[in-house]
Amino acid sequence: MSSRGLVRARRVWKRFRTDRQRRLLRDQVGSLVARLRGEHAGGWRWALRDVSLEVAPGEAVGIVGVNGSGKSTFLKILSRVTYPYAGEVELIGRVAGLIEIRAGIHPDLTGRENVYLYGSLLGLSRAEVAARFDDIVAFAELGDAIDRQTKYFSSGMQMRLAFSVAASLEPDILLVDEVLAVGDAAFQQKCFDRMQTLLGRGVTLVFVSHDLASVEALCTRGLWLQEGCVESEGPVREVLGAYRSHIEGLAEASRSVGDLVRLAQSRIAGAAGMSIRTQHPLEVSVVLESDAARTVRVCFGLSEGPATPMVVLQRELSIAHGATRVACRIERLPFPRGRYYLWATVVDADRHELLAWQPVTHFDVAGPDLDRPPRGIVRLAPVHVEATWQHDAV
Amino acid sequence: MTRPAPPAAPPRDLRFRRRIDIRVAARELWRSRELVHSLVERDLRAQYKQAVLGVAWAVVTPLAFMVVFSVFFRRVATVDTQGIPYPLFSYVGVVPWTFFSSAVTRGGLSLLSNAALLNRVYCPREVFPLAGVISAGIDTLVALAVLGILFALSGVAPRPTSVLAPMLVLTQLAFTVGVTLTVAALVVYFRDLRHALSLVLQFGVLATPVAYGLEVIPRHLQVLYGLVNPLGPVIDGYRRVILFGQTPQWETLAPAVLASCVWLVGAFVLFKKLEVGFADVV
Repeated sequence: MSSRGLVRARRVWKRFRTDRQRRLLRDQVGSLVARLRGEHAGGWRWALRDVSLEVAPGEAVGIVGVNGSGKSTFLKILSRVTYPYAGEVELIGRVAGLIEIRAGIHPDLTGRENVYLYGSLLGLSRAEVAARFDDIVAFAELGDAIDRQTKYFSSGMQMRLAFSVAASLEPDILLVDEVLAVGDAAFQQKCFDRMQTLLGRGVTLVFVSHDLASVEALCTRGLWLQEGCVESEGPVREVLGAYRSHIEGLAEASRSVGDLVRLAQSRIAGAAGMSIRTQHPLEVSVVLESDAARTVRVCFGLSEGPATPMVVLQRELSIAHGATRVACRIERLPFPRGRYYLWATVVDADRHELLAWQPVTHFDVAGPDLDRPPRGIVRLAPVHVEATWQHDAV
Repeated sequence: MTRPAPPAAPPRDLRFRRRIDIRVAARELWRSRELVHSLVERDLRAQYKQAVLGVAWAVVTPLAFMVVFSVFFRRVATVDTQGIPYPLFSYVGVVPWTFFSSAVTRGGLSLLSNAALLNRVYCPREVFPLAGVISAGIDTLVALAVLGILFALSGVAPRPTSVLAPMLVLTQLAFTVGVTLTVAALVVYFRDLRHALSLVLQFGVLATPVAYGLEVIPRHLQVLYGLVNPLGPVIDGYRRVILFGQTPQWETLAPAVLASCVWLVGAFVLFKKLEVGFADVV
């Protein structure tokens, strides 16, 4: 049949209760009484509003959107785990829905027993599982562990076991929700390769992920959901482009909120434009923009990367309305060879943050390597200090 | 590329309507039989891996009932066993009751205990209660082994009329599955029913002729009783065909059969109707 692999969702709506989690008889009786009296009984929130999607056999569609935008709900409706409030859903062919796939693994059973259980949950017959058993174990790289109880498996092993069963399904339609989040990089690559093999065989794919790179690599079309509505739909590059600029806009908006002082420029260099060397000068210079003249405390941190600096340099000073250049010079930089990061913050006299503590730029230092102390000695500050030694017999 | 905002609510004609076709549902359930098999295997393996006594637990509950009835119940009431040793008489009632009670408990709570699967994997939802009923049934088969020992000890043999027992088993299965499906579907929506369930089952063992015979129920009420509690005439039937060499008492068994069939069909339809919301509510 030529339509095998077709996915069609027409004007799907879905709502959830917002009022409470409890499901007790007395709550129901209460709400029934309220409804009989004509009072409003409980609120609803739309999780999906008028979402349509048609995927031709062999096509791959990626669904993106921020958390709570309805991606997973939509995939659950496609896989018939839950039902829509309104609209129609039609899938033709064998469907494999991979949604939080570790849920199918029972901790008290061995890996072998779980392969059979999960296989039949996904719709394989026991004979089919038996025929594929060796492939499944080999793909999951579990070896002898297959006869151990899965509660003694690491989460990565459980994940590998579940994905391997799912990967052996040979479906017409593959619905995938963020399953590759667990597992090491090598196994993720393997899963990715397996999905690409399936795509090559003409499987229809609907893929939900926050990993935009893999959406772009696997899918030809994109669907961007925003608060349960279709924000845009079309070729994957266009949709992802629109989505990316949307989330960067969100991030910038959240960063500039509360920053009364802006960091306009930053420069870090050795003396007179020379390269940065151990025990030589280092010059940090930034341009701050302020909406008013104020007295502030400017603070720089030099770090190996994280927000915990090795060195803190700070100074109270007055900045003007508009741009102010602030420069700071270290005569003899005590850092050995390596890459370091400049962090910065600006606070006012009451210690209110005017510019949030944030990484500004990075720089490389040329010079001697850090010398290694004898084992068992933990060095707190990985700095390089010049010293002279003498030793005489007395 | 950006679309106009959708309306505030879907048009009425778009509303999703669940069509229930019993034949389609039954066919789909039949296709899921291997899944039921796997679930039963999972339940039994998980259950017996954790228990020190293992399979012996399947025997402990009915044996304990039988001992309690033999030691205490007979002190306060005289039971006409028609010459059959009382332990054997009561055990023939205890085994079907234990099956019913454990099937309803396991199957009835199965949607809650499988909530994680319910939310992530598609399958006909009734596989979970059915797997509960079947694993209770397997425990019952183990308990039947003890029945053989009791026969040997008391020097009584099952009567030839025992060939009629499968008919009673079918009636009991229909009733048990019906009640299990109903409980399973309702407990999802009304969580506190599960406490009521254990209470009802505790009274049920006394309200059913397990420790005594059906003749305790006044004759003119027996038809009504059979409609309300089909287990009564069924257990009475087991005793008649297996122990007494009689045929079942048709005029009380007929209403029980009728009630069981109504339960089964009604519960299946109810379950299929409520199924739509399970994944959202569980």
